[in-house]
Amino acid sequence: MFSFQPDRSQYPAPGPDGKLEIDLETGQYLKLWQGPNHPGMTGNMSVELTVCGDEVVEGKTHVGYLHRGFEKLMERRSFIQCFPIVCRICVPEPDFNEYCYAAAVENLAGIEVPEYANWMRTLILEMGRFNSYMMAIGGMSGALGLGVVGQWLTYVRDIMLDRFEELTGARIYHMFILPGGVRGHLPEGFKDRMEEVLKTAERYLADVDKVMFSNAVYKRRTKGVGYIDPKLFEPYGVTGPNARAGGVAKDVRKDAPYLVYDQLDFEVPTETASDIWARTNVRRRDIDVSIDLIRQILKKFPKGGEVMAEIPNVLHWKIPRGETYIKGESSRGEYGYYLVTDGSGYPRRVNVRGPSYTHAMALLELLIPGTNISDVAALMVSLHTYPPEIER
Amino acid sequence: MSFKDVLSPFTAWKHVLETPVTIKDPLTREAADRYRGFHKNDIELCIGCSSCEAICQNAAIDMVPVKDPKEGDSGLRPQIDYGRCCWCALCVDICMTGSLTMSNEYIWFDEDPDAFRFIPGVDAKSWDSSEKGYRREGGRRLSGTERVEMREMEPDLRIGNFDEIVAGYDRAEAVLEADRCVECGLCVATCPAHMDIPDYIKTIREGDYEHGLELLYNSNPFSEVCGRVCTHNCETACAARHEGDPIAIRWLKRHITDQVPYDRYVDIVGKPDLAKTGQKIAIIGAGPGGLTAAFDLARMGHAVTVYEEKEKPGGMMRYGIPEYRLPYESLDRDIGVIEAMGVKIKCGVRIGKDISMEKLKADNDAVVLAIGLHLGRSTRVPGSESPDVEKAVELLRRITAGEEVPVPKKVVVIGGGNVAMDIARSMARLQKQRHGEVGITVTALESFDHFLADEEEVVESREEGIEILDSRGPQEVITVKSGKNKGKVKGLRTWRVDSIFDEKGRFNPHYDEGDEMVHDGEMVIEAIGQVSDVSLLGEKLTEALEWNRGRVKIDHDGRTSEPWLWAAGDCVKGPDVINAVADGHRVAQSINQVLVAMREAKA
Amino acid sequence: MSKQKLSEMTTIAEILETAVGFERAAEAFYTALIPKVSKNVRYLVEELAEEEAEHVRIFSELAENPDVHAHMADAITRPHADRKFSDAVHTPELGDNPDDQAVLQYALMREHIAMEEYTELAANTEPGPLHDAFQFLANEERKHKAELEAIYYQIVHSGGV
Repeated sequence: MFSFQPDRSQYPAPGPDGKLEIDLETGQYLKLWQGPNHPGMTGNMSVELTVCGDEVVEGKTHVGYLHRGFEKLMERRSFIQCFPIVCRICVPEPDFNEYCYAAAVENLAGIEVPEYANWMRTLILEMGRFNSYMMAIGGMSGALGLGVVGQWLTYVRDIMLDRFEELTGARIYHMFILPGGVRGHLPEGFKDRMEEVLKTAERYLADVDKVMFSNAVYKRRTKGVGYIDPKLFEPYGVTGPNARAGGVAKDVRKDAPYLVYDQLDFEVPTETASDIWARTNVRRRDIDVSIDLIRQILKKFPKGGEVMAEIPNVLHWKIPRGETYIKGESSRGEYGYYLVTDGSGYPRRVNVRGPSYTHAMALLELLIPGTNISDVAALMVSLHTYPPEIER
Repeated sequence: MSFKDVLSPFTAWKHVLETPVTIKDPLTREAADRYRGFHKNDIELCIGCSSCEAICQNAAIDMVPVKDPKEGDSGLRPQIDYGRCCWCALCVDICMTGSLTMSNEYIWFDEDPDAFRFIPGVDAKSWDSSEKGYRREGGRRLSGTERVEMREMEPDLRIGNFDEIVAGYDRAEAVLEADRCVECGLCVATCPAHMDIPDYIKTIREGDYEHGLELLYNSNPFSEVCGRVCTHNCETACAARHEGDPIAIRWLKRHITDQVPYDRYVDIVGKPDLAKTGQKIAIIGAGPGGLTAAFDLARMGHAVTVYEEKEKPGGMMRYGIPEYRLPYESLDRDIGVIEAMGVKIKCGVRIGKDISMEKLKADNDAVVLAIGLHLGRSTRVPGSESPDVEKAVELLRRITAGEEVPVPKKVVVIGGGNVAMDIARSMARLQKQRHGEVGITVTALESFDHFLADEEEVVESREEGIEILDSRGPQEVITVKSGKNKGKVKGLRTWRVDSIFDEKGRFNPHYDEGDEMVHDGEMVIEAIGQVSDVSLLGEKLTEALEWNRGRVKIDHDGRTSEPWLWAAGDCVKGPDVINAVADGHRVAQSINQVLVAMREAKA
Repeated sequence: MSKQKLSEMTTIAEILETAVGFERAAEAFYTALIPKVSKNVRYLVEELAEEEAEHVRIFSELAENPDVHAHMADAITRPHADRKFSDAVHTPELGDNPDDQAVLQYALMREHIAMEEYTELAANTEPGPLHDAFQFLANEERKHKAELEAIYYQIVHSGGV
């Protein structure tokens, strides 16, 4: 109906190395910066586009607008002092940092976390995943001009933040999962209030299905656009929903179960098209999985128990020499912390492996050429990237 | 893709009929009960230990002085800069007293940016009375609350001998205990000798015992002794005691001395390489006060001679404290270090008899009086003049000296302090050896709520089969009135004490004559108090000196009204080893200043 | 105490005279004791002498009070404990060089007797300035005794650590 085939007749032929000879003097090309302050960008990064007409022939990704040097900061902070820092590495889904960091420290220090804390951590991670998807789906529709879905899902996210607030004492940076366990028990009546949130979410999501996923314009603009060849998954480190949309059922929750995921019943949704539509659809279906998981967790939640293991005095906590890698499945794919200790009171090295690093920098540069300017935002959002975790 | 897909989005219009979900008045929205909002601090509960400042990774907390420091309270309080704070609440979690909390308030308008740096609890805020806000669940978890138990010899094994009871920590136990310290330093301020407590505890964690030993002897030449018998005021100032047990500082000190081989001591403690000053100092009394002064003065290059009346040096540490609490070898090791600094100790010399004060004055540049409190007080109740009534300090001295002491089957002790416990437990051991069983009754004026002796002394005494009666005031030592045993002690008659303090809170017992008891015993030991034997001063010097309520008057530095004479230790400050050590340091410093000035005046 | 007879009456002038004499004697006693005791415990005796001098001053002021002066000839019951006045002044010898404990024990005993004496005198006088004066003195002696007891326990029962 609206088929579009780019007319490449005006392009100069690529050179023998397959690269374009771009000479801005000819007037044929235009440099266009999208970001760092651009509503179509997912956070503080920018893409330097070279366009020919409204066709993008080259895109270079630029980061560096948000550098706070977390990894370096942590090398000069005690193990407990790193705990309030790590959540800031990913604003929309901070809990993964808290979990990975805590688990890495516990691993090297040989601390066994109480069962109750493991259930609490799983609950928090699923709540965080749910919220992250709210932003991703809302952003996806927003990137294509469909603002109302963003508004609805912001509201749904907001009431989930209310649950975060009553559980953890904060809305955004929860700082609830700390080395040794978690900071508290479930508040009274939490399960009922959570159920209300989930019901509201389901009602809104039903509307999102009608307005967004069953929308002719949306389908037209996302199907077949931003295709990632599954062959690239391995070399480019593509994980999470981005890989699952290409038929690869990768999910750390299933592949290497952590916390209490082995006690929960869930399927990993996949698609095969590997385009924007497929990626977004995987996320949409993963929300349902998350909702289901939250219900399962709350149903099986231990009646009570210790929230914290015995830990040494944190003011001079030293951890023996060692290294460890802790990973988990965040809403964007595999999230990992590589922690090296040298027997001192400070981490020797903390390396944060955020999925955005691979998805937003190298992969995006590869996907951009050949797209329309108006699709760049959608393409980027469809990779679901958060620049802070690139610049840790 | 179908026609339905074109129409489907229009279903969004139904939301036009819904009530908006926006919060109408966000400024009055109350946060959740657990919300980590603005800080509150219970200023009376807070001890200014600075743990909050230490843990804050943003350096948002500064400790600022708000009141005068006192024992166990630095007088500092946390000032929080909301330009830096990230509301992680680690300060609340680490708080040693639980004084620092958070409200669930989160809205604060002010034109002055400096207003957001404030002292919670001191700068009044609208949320100070807020009941809600973040609370740490289950108390303090970020540092240990339970003391590592000290292993002790079982009562039935220890009662028949004078072997040391306390085993000492092993490395693992000591590290665990040392780990609990938050390095606030409140103990340093409280310790009379201001020992580097957090630093030497740190050396235990790091396994650097030689450095630990160096730190110990820097401030206390009686570290082996104090590691066993110190009154540990530090532990009453310890921040950890507010929620849990105080750090076992005394046992940790002992652990360091246990870990270093004795032949390394002198090398580690070291002797400053100073030229001899040629100035001479005589010290009367080889107790903790005198020997500490001697240690310091010898290290400053002076020639120091200590005169001791008794057969061996150590004073009350040897002749007062029983061996099961402080083995003589420990004391000898500390004295050995002091002697290695060049101090000469002359035992068996009584000043005033063998050498006169005048001669000491003439032969030395300075003289230190450190004679302790070696005379026991008597109640002087009727019958107390009987030969079967003994004084505790005298009896303890005889036991140490190896003299034969009478050991009847039933003994009554008057007194509730540690000396009373010492003599009761020593006699109990002798009774066990001689008669196979213990028969000791201790009668104390004080009630158990206000007991003078340490809790552990009371517990251990009872374990050893000693009967302790509180609130009993001695009225009469009952003696046999006729027959061949005339004059022999039969027991002690006491009245119950119904109140021990007067309206001004001073110790002033009041008796209930209606509640009378007679405690059977063939010997009564008085352990009610001690006094200094100042007779060695001679009438002339006694007249010349200024006095302060029975004790030689000294200035802040320990100098008496006679410019050549200083006084230190129990005889001027009351009975306590660590206070005597502190006093020894003080007079050594003062004497050195005077001697330096004398040298300079001559030059 | 045995029952008192009505014939055992005395005048206020007499009572005042005895009381002043009592306090004077005590002051003189302590003052004389000062040089006898060793210098390190002299402070105790000095304090005791000062206290007694203060009481003499109170009596002198009282005698000059016109209200009291008018009643000098009034008869009142001779107090029960009267006999002890002379006892207290002539307490057993303290010896040549008494120590602090002996001085305190002596003083405590004396204060106790004086306290009882003034309490009874107060009970036997009509409400008025004289009654108040005895009440005041009884109270003074009671406070003084409490003070001495506290000092006694502080010095003698130091506990021993």
